[in-house]
Amino acid sequence: MSTPTISRQRLTALVPYAFVAVPLAYLGVFMFWPLLRQMWMSLTDTRLMNPTKGDFIGLENYRHLLADPQFYTSLHVTVVYTLLTVIFGVGLGTISALAINRPFPGRTIVRAVLLFGWAVPNVAATLIWLWIYNGPSGVANELTEWLGLGRVQWLTSIDMALPSIMIVTVWQVAPFVMLVMLAALQSVPDEVREAARVDGADALNVFRNVTLPYILPTMQLVSLLVAVWSIRRFEIIYLLTGGGPIGSTSTLVVQIRLTAFEDYDLGLASAYGAVGLVLALLVALVHFIFERRRARVMSK
Amino acid sequence: MSFTRRSLMTSALSVALAAGALVAPMSAQAETTLVIANSQWLDALRGQNLWAAIKKFEETHPDVTLEQEAIPSKDYPDRLMTEMGAGQGPDIMIVQEGLFYTLAGAEFLVPLDDVTEGVGNLNATNENGVVDGTRLGIAWQRAVYALIYNKSVLAAAGAEVPTDIDGLIANAEKAASATGAIGFTGRHSMNEFSAWFMDFQNWAYGYGVDWVDAEGKLTINTPEAVEAVEAFKAAYASGIMPIGDPMSTQRTRFKEEQVAFSIDNSGGSLNIASGGAMPSSDLGAAPLPFPHPGAHQQIFLGVSTHSDHPEVAKEFLSWLLTDEGQQALREASGPDALATDVPVTAEFEAANPWAPAFAELAETSRSTLIPGYELETTSIMRPVMTGVEKVLLGAATAEEALAEAQADISADFN
Repeated sequence: MSTPTISRQRLTALVPYAFVAVPLAYLGVFMFWPLLRQMWMSLTDTRLMNPTKGDFIGLENYRHLLADPQFYTSLHVTVVYTLLTVIFGVGLGTISALAINRPFPGRTIVRAVLLFGWAVPNVAATLIWLWIYNGPSGVANELTEWLGLGRVQWLTSIDMALPSIMIVTVWQVAPFVMLVMLAALQSVPDEVREAARVDGADALNVFRNVTLPYILPTMQLVSLLVAVWSIRRFEIIYLLTGGGPIGSTSTLVVQIRLTAFEDYDLGLASAYGAVGLVLALLVALVHFIFERRRARVMSK
Repeated sequence: MSFTRRSLMTSALSVALAAGALVAPMSAQAETTLVIANSQWLDALRGQNLWAAIKKFEETHPDVTLEQEAIPSKDYPDRLMTEMGAGQGPDIMIVQEGLFYTLAGAEFLVPLDDVTEGVGNLNATNENGVVDGTRLGIAWQRAVYALIYNKSVLAAAGAEVPTDIDGLIANAEKAASATGAIGFTGRHSMNEFSAWFMDFQNWAYGYGVDWVDAEGKLTINTPEAVEAVEAFKAAYASGIMPIGDPMSTQRTRFKEEQVAFSIDNSGGSLNIASGGAMPSSDLGAAPLPFPHPGAHQQIFLGVSTHSDHPEVAKEFLSWLLTDEGQQALREASGPDALATDVPVTAEFEAANPWAPAFAELAETSRSTLIPGYELETTSIMRPVMTGVEKVLLGAATAEEALAEAQADISADFN
């Protein structure tokens, strides 16, 4: 009579593994296996025309990458784009969240309007912005002409293309940040803020010494998300400029597409992908270092 | 002789399986579907007409169904190469000459010598369909470039059809200031590289560029090429072009009577002249405003090595080369040259008075591919067009940009 009891115990012990197995299988098939394949491919001369027949060439693709000035341009564009998107996206999102955190008439409508950018699908949003930026008949140029600044080559000048793309990105990202920060702000106890005010703290001091410590972990996390998304972002950049003019908006991801689908070089494109992955992991590492330091301070 | 129940069942099953095995290929043959990929299927009106033309094949071949694979032209090379690389893709591909050579180089095309065997009336448009002595492509259409213009806009502005670049800029400015129309349209960005480099060959050939010397060595930074790039820069910088507009938008603007001049091919012109606000009779076509003749876009049909029905696909191509097939295609192709010499009808000419100009220009136009470097033309033209973009944006002079392109190309190809 003891056998069924043991079986049941064993079964019970297996249940957690069964739960873990499903997502693990999913991640294995859709993330780890492609990742390993990509890493392997970056060490081969695989061509798009014959993707199953690449020969092992060691670190040749990485050597080629490091000797190519376009790689450094792409890396520079990716870092600048990511940094500025995080600064402006998180900054604007947080300011918006602070602004709509307190009750005022029409708050629901304002919240809905502010969320619009995030709710619109990427491709649709990009097409809207393509028309806004259109040279002869775009609204942006109507505005600059009205302001006496003349017509601006928003997407076709080397100086303006990246800022124009960043405006669209921040327009899309800031509402998401606002939403997350709003949730974090609502977890700040009113009585603590009130106590600070009673003690004579002004609005800036209340924010710096009471609100900020509460929302900082969320801000760090949302910055990590925005940074990783920026490193991976493709549609907005590709549809607006295709990486041009003269590579001035060609991030690593856009360069991957160009290398894989226009030069048909899957091996080299995989090497670009590997660099992108390292960059994303570095950002995550910085986040975890900050997180650990904060936990250590809190535990003291 | 006695049968057990089990042996009877086994025999019955074997007979059923054998019958199934015999019937399966017959029924598959009875319902063959040929997938034909083309970006033109998406063209307003022209796409429908072209599809209706080739659908006539089904009338004489009721066992075959033709199915479209419509891919936007901007994504066409990437999508097709990705599908082919994955061992998939359509049965028949309708592709630009550059992509045709890429497919041929990757050995994705079935030899078609047996299709053209005994066909005596193939014209010169089929010449580049033979690669290393094997026919891999049959001409679908040849679209010649011309300077096209809106007669009404020119008349309203008192502008004339120019014969040189200074005249083009002056008359485009005149038309723009008098009517509010856009002066001149044309591709001008690396964002549309695969089509822009073909368009740009008109400027290059127009100023006498060959891209190769007498020994077949690639020569990029020639005085002629510098002159061509500077001419393009002059048009770009003069304010007559809608900077940033993709070609699809520019064609739509032309259709809506908002453009005075454009350099476009006969296929694009047919697209502009049909299904828009502008009557076809308002469209004019003239020789390019350059000292030498321009280019043409050659489009080929090829059969994929991944096709499950290569013989049926060849049967379709054979039909297309018959008088019936060519006549059907002629009615939907406007003034484009076809695989055989099928003249446009008198009715078409009367309704589209701009068409004969393209036929005249076809006599001297050149392929957009570099002779001797057909397979590599796209790769060669990438640094050239990157250089042109630098010149347009003021990041380099024509001499500097072409010298840089020459250095890149010499390192890779010479």
